[in-house]
Amino acid sequence: MIYVLLAFWVISAILAINEKKILGMIVYLGVFSMISAVCFLLLGAPDVAMAEAAVSTFSTVFLIICFEKYFSLVTTVNYEPPQENPIIAKLKKRGVAVAFTLVICALFIFFIPNSPANTFVKDKYIASFMNDVGGENSVTAIYLGYRMYDTLFEALMLLVSVVAVTHMSMFNESLPDNASQLRGVSKSDKIAIYTVRIVCSGILLFGIYLIFNGHISPGGGFQGGVAVASFFVCKYLIHNIDDMQYKTLMIVEKLIFAAIILLATSFILMGIHIHFPQMKQLYLILMNSLIGMKVACGFMVIFYRYIAFERR
Amino acid sequence: MLGNIIELTAITVFFISFYGLITSRGVIKSIISIGIMEVSIVVFFLSFGYEKGIKPPIGQEIVNAADPLPQALVITAIIIGVALTAVNLTMLISLKREFNATEWDILKDRTHPEFNKNI
Repeated sequence: MIYVLLAFWVISAILAINEKKILGMIVYLGVFSMISAVCFLLLGAPDVAMAEAAVSTFSTVFLIICFEKYFSLVTTVNYEPPQENPIIAKLKKRGVAVAFTLVICALFIFFIPNSPANTFVKDKYIASFMNDVGGENSVTAIYLGYRMYDTLFEALMLLVSVVAVTHMSMFNESLPDNASQLRGVSKSDKIAIYTVRIVCSGILLFGIYLIFNGHISPGGGFQGGVAVASFFVCKYLIHNIDDMQYKTLMIVEKLIFAAIILLATSFILMGIHIHFPQMKQLYLILMNSLIGMKVACGFMVIFYRYIAFERR
Repeated sequence: MLGNIIELTAITVFFISFYGLITSRGVIKSIISIGIMEVSIVVFFLSFGYEKGIKPPIGQEIVNAADPLPQALVITAIIIGVALTAVNLTMLISLKREFNATEWDILKDRTHPEFNKNI
């Protein structure tokens, strides 16, 4: 089963690389992400599958917005690279690249050590995560308990990338008055609007379910946060909200990041989970909901900047 | 020696996207290649200790389960990956507005015009 899927996975990657048009490439990237999410599920990682499925929608949305706003309207310059001899030029262009790639790939395959990661840590984690951190999901127990610093620095990375997106897109803060080019689903498209209206409340409910059940079932803060953010994207598609308060969202995100650091360090470093074992569940739920809110705010800010900056 | 088939497939896809990266003429194809590369690294991590009929490491009694440590590492990497895509696209939009081009060759000519003259 998984080998058939892996074959399709490789084929979709080749198609995405070989495609000439940009929109086709984006669509093949979406297909590739979907197949890889099913692969993760078959590899025994439902948390990662959910994260990939939620996140690939967002990367596709960003790519399509970028394409719609900056590539379709632009008159592309016809650039002819200087070619003295077509065969030699083709050999230079493709042959060198193919040979280089094949050589490095062969080096990687033949000199890979046998089973680089062994499973000594796995048995220890699986045996004792219920006592140490609590909950029934060992993945959540690892990224909220044993490896808490990973989660903290990941949240910091997301915050930094949000700041980078807002500051690099601040070319012209005084927006012109004419209406934006990209206006969600157009008003005439009734079927899309009604479908999104029916589906979007379900998406919000699913995101909240993922956040609050992340410690006993597949799911967690990251996946639920991205699902909640996609609910707000659906709201944008229906209502065409033009004045989303992204500055408030950024302040809220920074405050939530401070709260995450305070909660995690106080719980783990001060040893509350040793003295008060009944607080473990509360800690997991609180951390998951804080991380979910932070991720949702970050993705909302990025989406708003992509939609709104320099309307033309 | 040869690893298992899933590891080999992940390495193959990594180098397919590497080929796309070094032969890409447009910036947006490079960004998409980097996205494919990240997913292949995720599959490489998740394939550690794969057996047939493996189960997720969730529940009261965990038997024959996958390794939870790479999964916890990889979840954060996926979220960082989409943030990276967003930052890359923002830089691409800035380049587009400044130099009015999205191909590497034209951008090279316009950002460093003296570079090609000397050669």
